[in-house]
Amino acid sequence: MKILKISRGFDLNVAEQPDLNCAQLALPSSLGCCAGDIPHIRPKLLVKEGQRVKTGDALFTDKRDTTIQYVSPGTGQVEKVIYGHRRRLMEVVIATESEDEYVEYDPVDLDGIIDMPRDALVTVLKKGGLWQGLRQFPALDFADPDHSPALIIVVMDGNDIFSPRPGIILKDNITAFEAGMAVLRRFSNRLAVVCRKSSLEGIREQSSSVADQITHAAPDIYPAWLPGAVLYQIKQQAAENSTWYIRLDHLVMMGRFLLSGRYPVEKIVTITRPGEQHPHMRVRQGMPLSALIGAMPGNSIVTTGRFNGRVLEKDAHIGFFENTVNIIETGPEEEMFGFARPGLDKPTLSSTFLSSLFRRPANMDCTLHGETRACINCSYCERICPNDLMPSFIMKALHAGELEDALALGLMDCCRCGLCSFACPSKIELTRILSDAMDAYYKDKQ
Amino acid sequence: MKNPLKKIFDDTKPFFTGDGKYKKYEPIWDATKTFFFLPSQKNSFMPFVRDHLDLKRYMSIVVLSLLPVTFFGIYNTGYQAGIGAGESWPVTQCFLVGACYVLPIIIVSYAVGFAWEFLFAVIRGHNISEGFLVTGLLFPLTLPPTIPLWQVALGISFGVIIGKEVFGGTGRNILNPALTGRAFLFFSYPVSMSGDVWVAGKHLVDGVTGATALSVTGAGGQSITAALGDAGYSLGQLFTGFVPGSVGETSALCCLFGAAILMVTRIANYRVIIGGIAGLVITSVIVYLIPGGQESWSNAGPLYHLCAGGFLFGISFMATDPVSAPGTNPGRWIFGAAIGFLTVIIRVGNPAFMEGVMLAILFMNVFAPLLDHLVLKYKSSKRIPNV
Repeated sequence: MKILKISRGFDLNVAEQPDLNCAQLALPSSLGCCAGDIPHIRPKLLVKEGQRVKTGDALFTDKRDTTIQYVSPGTGQVEKVIYGHRRRLMEVVIATESEDEYVEYDPVDLDGIIDMPRDALVTVLKKGGLWQGLRQFPALDFADPDHSPALIIVVMDGNDIFSPRPGIILKDNITAFEAGMAVLRRFSNRLAVVCRKSSLEGIREQSSSVADQITHAAPDIYPAWLPGAVLYQIKQQAAENSTWYIRLDHLVMMGRFLLSGRYPVEKIVTITRPGEQHPHMRVRQGMPLSALIGAMPGNSIVTTGRFNGRVLEKDAHIGFFENTVNIIETGPEEEMFGFARPGLDKPTLSSTFLSSLFRRPANMDCTLHGETRACINCSYCERICPNDLMPSFIMKALHAGELEDALALGLMDCCRCGLCSFACPSKIELTRILSDAMDAYYKDKQ
Repeated sequence: MKNPLKKIFDDTKPFFTGDGKYKKYEPIWDATKTFFFLPSQKNSFMPFVRDHLDLKRYMSIVVLSLLPVTFFGIYNTGYQAGIGAGESWPVTQCFLVGACYVLPIIIVSYAVGFAWEFLFAVIRGHNISEGFLVTGLLFPLTLPPTIPLWQVALGISFGVIIGKEVFGGTGRNILNPALTGRAFLFFSYPVSMSGDVWVAGKHLVDGVTGATALSVTGAGGQSITAALGDAGYSLGQLFTGFVPGSVGETSALCCLFGAAILMVTRIANYRVIIGGIAGLVITSVIVYLIPGGQESWSNAGPLYHLCAGGFLFGISFMATDPVSAPGTNPGRWIFGAAIGFLTVIIRVGNPAFMEGVMLAILFMNVFAPLLDHLVLKYKSSKRIPNV
């Protein structure tokens, strides 16, 4: 096992670690299939309101590749279809029935996966609603099955500091994991399995054979375990720029789907809330937020990741790619002489607050702590960027319309970890600027 | 209970925002309000947590690091005036007399500078940038205590308008605004900026020249260090700062203290300061080793070069201005080292402008974008292309 090195990143203590127990939640009255969290998708609705669907029935597809299906996580009637800005499909909500009826596929065993023709494997995964778990760099769109990636990265940990622990996801799913790995071996002969150091113990407890397959361990510094940061650490040639990656929970789902022939509806979710420890929760795909967190505290926002993710509305459902829910409180909206306080409880990367003298868990709120100003070249963004980018220079190149310069400076290597925006004292939305530019460039090239 | 100050801002808000009567003056109202109440809106885009450091605090730390220099400058101005008057004044009198000379300069600098800053903010509809808090204090600290106040007003106006606003305001200037203002005064009103102007008050005692250490040269085969000692500029005095000079530059000790605050809090980039000191020391040692020039500053050695004149003040507070310095780390090392090198070269080679730091920093400010460009080109060539 190789130890990845990372010299830059976010290395502060954060309170709110979730409990390592696992609680099972009951089937809620409604389930949602989200399109809001899927990058680049151009959704096309396949069902009507009032129509009855089985678990695993296609609800919508991607106009760019209609063989990729997004399937229903439950059985019941389509209760409503929610559209967002410019009538973009956001969610399909299913009113659930207590008995599940599945769309059945032929189960395949481990040897069957190895012998199955590659095309057939792709087709069944696309139809089963699991192919989209495989993402392709640099734009993180769904993997192109015609492409043979030089490398596939399996990331054991999620996008957040407190994403579900791999040991808990793997519990009772070791064969599914092996089946998933067998699928990946069909597409590339080089797999990199990456895990956070602190997760290793939990995995070893579940299965030493899984632990032995881990090729890289990442330090517990955010975002060392994010696929983009991992790829930057291990890539050696330009061919690896279009590497694929898959997260452990999607890999396990893939394996379970192939072994059982049914769409796997379970997922593990963590909830972090200031001052409370919640256990990991075993829930249905598409769980409504209200059933997960109960009453939402008034002065807070709910996000699917502290540094990267999206804001969830009160009546939203958890998306396919989301398994972490953060409830972050709003700080004081206006603090008298806020800029001049000693700041014992103000987490910061600089050493301008007294809090930097003590290493204690930081209470982080979801406010900006200042006003937007011009970039003053302070290099705080460069100091924290895990991929050796200089976000301020890329931002300036983009503002000047010099896309070529921005690309030469490594724009497409950005792993969207959000740390540049986090650190910026001028409060410039660097992550947003870089992320939008990456997406625009990718769209333009297609 | 509601904060009474908050109530004032809430009550006046309708006049300055939206369709208010004084909407034009919103930047002024906003700057006052945000000074008292730091705004902190909810994040709507990732990341949802943010660092607590903002530009207001950033600039406040620079002002904080300037306080030792400022207070010592005020004291020393009074102290030197006392020597000039041939008397030995107690500490409080030194402070009071010093304050009478220095405070008006600072007040004029802030008042006139902020007036320009407000004007540009109102015309452009921008928020007022905190950067001026620093410029407005740095500028007076580079001036002699005898400077006429109208020249202070003129200098800071030039610094703010030509040094910053014509380029688009804070963050876009290529030159340090405070030094631009000083350079303007230096070349436009040389009589006020050189010669016997560095001691305030009337000179009643013969032999008190009121010139800075840099203008001393050994005459008749006397070595420069001996000549400096004769003139009352021993190394110890130059280090502690009880010598004539511009308000903020005389005390190497206080400058180092300020530099330490800036480096520890990571507000200033240590590479510029360390690189600058290294550049100055290496260059002055090389110049020292070249034979000849006993009586000129080429023979002064690194310690005299460090402590005399405004080098430490310039490299700690002026060169570290992040906007006009390079934005890449290797660039910062070269930038700092080049300032140290040029300072010595100007002092040794061009006695007409003995104070080399100002010109060295402004000169390197111009080259900062080129340094960045070269570093970026090199760094890009090392990346695995991803297009």
